[in-house]
Amino acid sequence: MPVRTPHFPDLLFGSAARLRRWENALMGLLETHGYRELHPSLVLRESIPDGSLRFFDGDDLVALRWDFTVSLAGLLARRFPTPPPRVAYAGAVFRRPVQPWEAVERFEVGCERIQPEGEPSGEADVELARLLMAIPGVLGLKSAILHLGNAALVRRPLEAEGLPGDLADAVVAALSRRAPHRVREALDGHPSAARLTAHAEALLSELDGPGTLGALKTSPYADLLKDERDHMDRVLKSLLPILPPNLELRVDLADVAGLGFYTGPTLRLWAPGAQQELAAGGRYDRLFPGLGRPWQAAGFCVRLSRLLDLAETRPDLFEQPQ
Amino acid sequence: MTNRTLLIAFPKGRLGDELVPKLAGTPLALDAEALKSRVLRIPTATPGVAALLLKGADLPRYVAAGVASLGIVGSDTLDEMDMDLLELADLGFGACRLSLCAQVGVTLEALRAKPHLRLATKFPKATEAWLTREGLTAELVPLSSSAELAPLLGLADAIVDLVQTGGTLKAHGLVETAVLGRSSARLVAARGAYLSEPGRIRPLADLLIQALR
Repeated sequence: MPVRTPHFPDLLFGSAARLRRWENALMGLLETHGYRELHPSLVLRESIPDGSLRFFDGDDLVALRWDFTVSLAGLLARRFPTPPPRVAYAGAVFRRPVQPWEAVERFEVGCERIQPEGEPSGEADVELARLLMAIPGVLGLKSAILHLGNAALVRRPLEAEGLPGDLADAVVAALSRRAPHRVREALDGHPSAARLTAHAEALLSELDGPGTLGALKTSPYADLLKDERDHMDRVLKSLLPILPPNLELRVDLADVAGLGFYTGPTLRLWAPGAQQELAAGGRYDRLFPGLGRPWQAAGFCVRLSRLLDLAETRPDLFEQPQ
Repeated sequence: MTNRTLLIAFPKGRLGDELVPKLAGTPLALDAEALKSRVLRIPTATPGVAALLLKGADLPRYVAAGVASLGIVGSDTLDEMDMDLLELADLGFGACRLSLCAQVGVTLEALRAKPHLRLATKFPKATEAWLTREGLTAELVPLSSSAELAPLLGLADAIVDLVQTGGTLKAHGLVETAVLGRSSARLVAARGAYLSEPGRIRPLADLLIQALR
């Protein structure tokens, strides 16, 4: 039986004030862009997922909210015949930690952009990226890095090759480790081995500015991924002219985190030297159809607990509040 | 912020013995005087970059936690620990086999036929994976060192251990009966350090790859 020492953070004066200030500032920013707050119940009504914090209430097994996107999706699918286009949320989620240093209670602020299926989604993706670009300034981060990726860059070639689930999982795990040699090992003997290994090498060859997108041209799947490349190019062209001076834009072609959930563009916010991403999101068009609603959606979540930790351990990364 | 010392975790022991001479004369050469001492944090020839000398089994934790930005560790250790690390390159050196070894005269078929097979190992995860592939079950006897003694003294029927030249096996009257996998030195990186500061970490990673491959 593994020994767990769950981390339930108590926020003392400085951190509590910072959390309140950040939540208010971020929700204010989202409200000015037309995002309206929804507050799904802290107690889960849906089926109880693995990883949630569960306990018995009398004879009933209940769980606490473990993910805003999933809770909101349930609420929206139950209560709205047509989707509200922009929603925002703030509060805590509770998860059983995978790593011993992870907190059980995690504070988040986020937003979602929801549309009926079939509507063009490119503008929504740009809108979310622009919003995320404004967030380092709101939080007082001296500098930050925004990573742009696209889950389809890996998902589509794997589907096109018809890789069985366990083999596809091994390839994704190798890409997550940024280990092209592991991709080669995993695919040893498979007919697609040479093509997928060359693709992995192309995805991993660079992690830099907009020029990184050029690496896709060397992939054996360059034609298959033309729409994704064009979309990323359009997003970059609309973001670069308004890039704040303290924000760096990088293209991360090998971003496979959450590949089972994300279906298209992905966004991740980092601070230089931070050990974990500070905000993350992307397009997840399969969530609402799975709940019986023909809607498509994208969004991001700012991980305030990680930011609070960073403010404690690396105060040099933040401007001093006025 | 970028004037923080960047730490690279190097393994002690077998891999470390191969590694240190390969770094001599490179920008990451370890300070010879410090190496002779008992100090475990060693300056390199590049200011602002220092090495930590760590036991292989501890090394991935230092990198995963971001204490060290880069590290070198055997793929056998990585596979056993399953830490959240980036694995930037197979450096090729330190190559060895992970093998099932038994006393001379004991065949794989004889081991398969045992109703209660006992295997001593410090690689339980790789051993369990092999047993599953082979459709076998066994009692695993966890050991952290000197596994070669286990079959000789009746603690286990066979061992699963790393074999490089086979000299240690031979000295104990053991032979390889099956190869479960292969291992070599890997360059690993802290996910956060690499993704948030690639401009700082990648040049050092490239230097290490150039020096060690």
